Amino acid sequence: MRRIERLINLIAALLEAEAPMTADDIRRRIAGYETDNHEAFRRAFERDKSDLKKMGIPIETRQLSAFGDEAPGYIIPKAAYYLPELDLEPDEVAALRIAASAVLGVQEEAGTGVMKLSMGAIDETTSGARLAWNADVAASQPLIGPLYSAVVDRAPVEFDYQPAGTDAAGHRRVEPYALVHRKGHWYLVGHDDTANDTRTFKVARITGDVKRGEGSYEIPAGFAAEGHVLSFQGEGEDIVARVRFDPSLRWWPEQNLAGANASEGPDGSYDVEMPVASIDALVSFAMWWGPKVEIIEPPEARTRMKELLERAVS
Amino acid sequence: MTPPPSERLAKRLRRILLLIPYAIKHPGVGVDELSAKFDVKRTELVEDLNLLFMCGLPGYGPGDLIDVDFDSGFVYVRMADYFAAPLKLTPVEALALYAGGAAMASMPEMEGAEALRRALGKLGTALGTTDEGAAVVDVRFEADPSDHLKALQDALASSKRLRLEYYSASSGELSTREVDPWTLYAALGRWYLIGLDHRSGEERMFRVDRIKSAEVTELDATVPDDFDPNSYSGAFRERPGQATATFEISPRAARWFEEYYPVRSATTLADGWRSIELAYSTPQWIAALLLSLGDEVRAIGPGDVSDAVAGLAGEVLKLYA
Repeated sequence: MRRIERLINLIAALLEAEAPMTADDIRRRIAGYETDNHEAFRRAFERDKSDLKKMGIPIETRQLSAFGDEAPGYIIPKAAYYLPELDLEPDEVAALRIAASAVLGVQEEAGTGVMKLSMGAIDETTSGARLAWNADVAASQPLIGPLYSAVVDRAPVEFDYQPAGTDAAGHRRVEPYALVHRKGHWYLVGHDDTANDTRTFKVARITGDVKRGEGSYEIPAGFAAEGHVLSFQGEGEDIVARVRFDPSLRWWPEQNLAGANASEGPDGSYDVEMPVASIDALVSFAMWWGPKVEIIEPPEARTRMKELLERAVS
Repeated sequence: MTPPPSERLAKRLRRILLLIPYAIKHPGVGVDELSAKFDVKRTELVEDLNLLFMCGLPGYGPGDLIDVDFDSGFVYVRMADYFAAPLKLTPVEALALYAGGAAMASMPEMEGAEALRRALGKLGTALGTTDEGAAVVDVRFEADPSDHLKALQDALASSKRLRLEYYSASSGELSTREVDPWTLYAALGRWYLIGLDHRSGEERMFRVDRIKSAEVTELDATVPDDFDPNSYSGAFRERPGQATATFEISPRAARWFEEYYPVRSATTLADGWRSIELAYSTPQWIAALLLSLGDEVRAIGPGDVSDAVAGLAGEVLKLYA
């Protein structure tokens, strides 16, 4: 019997088992594991179990006695395996199908997702029209899967984190509450053990792997990710800068910063007030426009510009 | 490159675990239809189905084995009720779909937006909730809104050439361009237009916020058959024949920088800084980029790049003298 057949038999048996099956039950009863060599069985079963778990098949290990002195049992809980019924309407499925075809980098996964969600639906093949837009949603970021699973399982995680600004990198232990996507970036919101408070972490600043810690936790009542991410992204956004745009660029703030306080500057230029996260962010923004944008306020930003530019000239 | 055997096996098993519920939900589905649906060759599909004869529940008698019949060219799978519903979504499947939907919902005047929002609501709940029912995954695409998106969409829908007034960071100038639109592309919170730029005769990416005006012309535009949006990721794409700049970047800026820009090479130095090679289009562009990095960057080369940086810095410095 081929390995793939044995794997299908293992999944079927553990899904239908009324009680957890011990390794011994599995060896005696499931087709594909017959062997007289105990060690060979053990190796085959451990490898199967680990590969299936990696594929997202929820094989659980249960202690069968309170003292842990008996061999453990294995089972696939139905509720953990089956996709819950979402009762999607045909037009909802059609909309998701279009969205799936627009996702770049993880198109295949998104497509499989739609297929799972639309199993029973009548298949109205999508029209031949080529989709006129695409999105890179960074879902192929390798840490997103493990972090998402941790949120769902309420499993604490540990990782090394390099904060923005001058703070040194450090090791963090976090109870994840939510995974949030804003403007192309993923953030993890959770309870930071060291700070003993809710904190937001930009996933791109996690260095190395995410390890699962011991234990579990509850997400506090009334928790909402929204506020945490907004204040993190803006890091206060309490600096209001005044920026002067060259007359030839006046259209840019008019189109993209509509609603901002603005006034006429000298010689046809245009002065716009804009909230910024930090002096560094403001300086970086201004540098991109070269001599066509001048920072008027705050004075610290002007000093910083001068300092950096003098260094660059020499 | 052929994937390792374990990956091939996992892929095949994933397919079979999806194939069975599909065949159960659609009794009598054609073998050809099924192979098209799952994007596999007919022979591969037949191998998958043949394999199921040997599978079932302990006992493995006639009442325990999965019953598969496809001799007539139509597929019937019975005695496998435990596989009648598919495996739940993997994290990447769920997040890719949810985030893609959220990006789509942020398009102005999107057809079917209301159905999409309903779908996202249901999917969001399925992704996991707090005990009080609040979603634990929250995606907002929040791409910059732009009055021009509508015109760009119209040009794409009617396959017409666009006339753009565009401010290019590569030249630091506003210019008028004619562009055959190929797709709108959203990444890192911004919208981009990808298409054929008639001025250079090359494929180019335009940041939608830097479009001053957009006019749909009467001229027809076509998308080349070999255009593949999947060749894009992030906000930049290297073009062949570009020159290379070298510089060192601080440890705290290195990670996002390397995620954002398609660096040609990056190595870690003794003090933790990273030595970078990056392709660039014009001296103006690389100078603006390096100046925007402030003192997170050092050791800029070669000479024409450091001259461009010094030149641009000198011009800007006049404003702060």
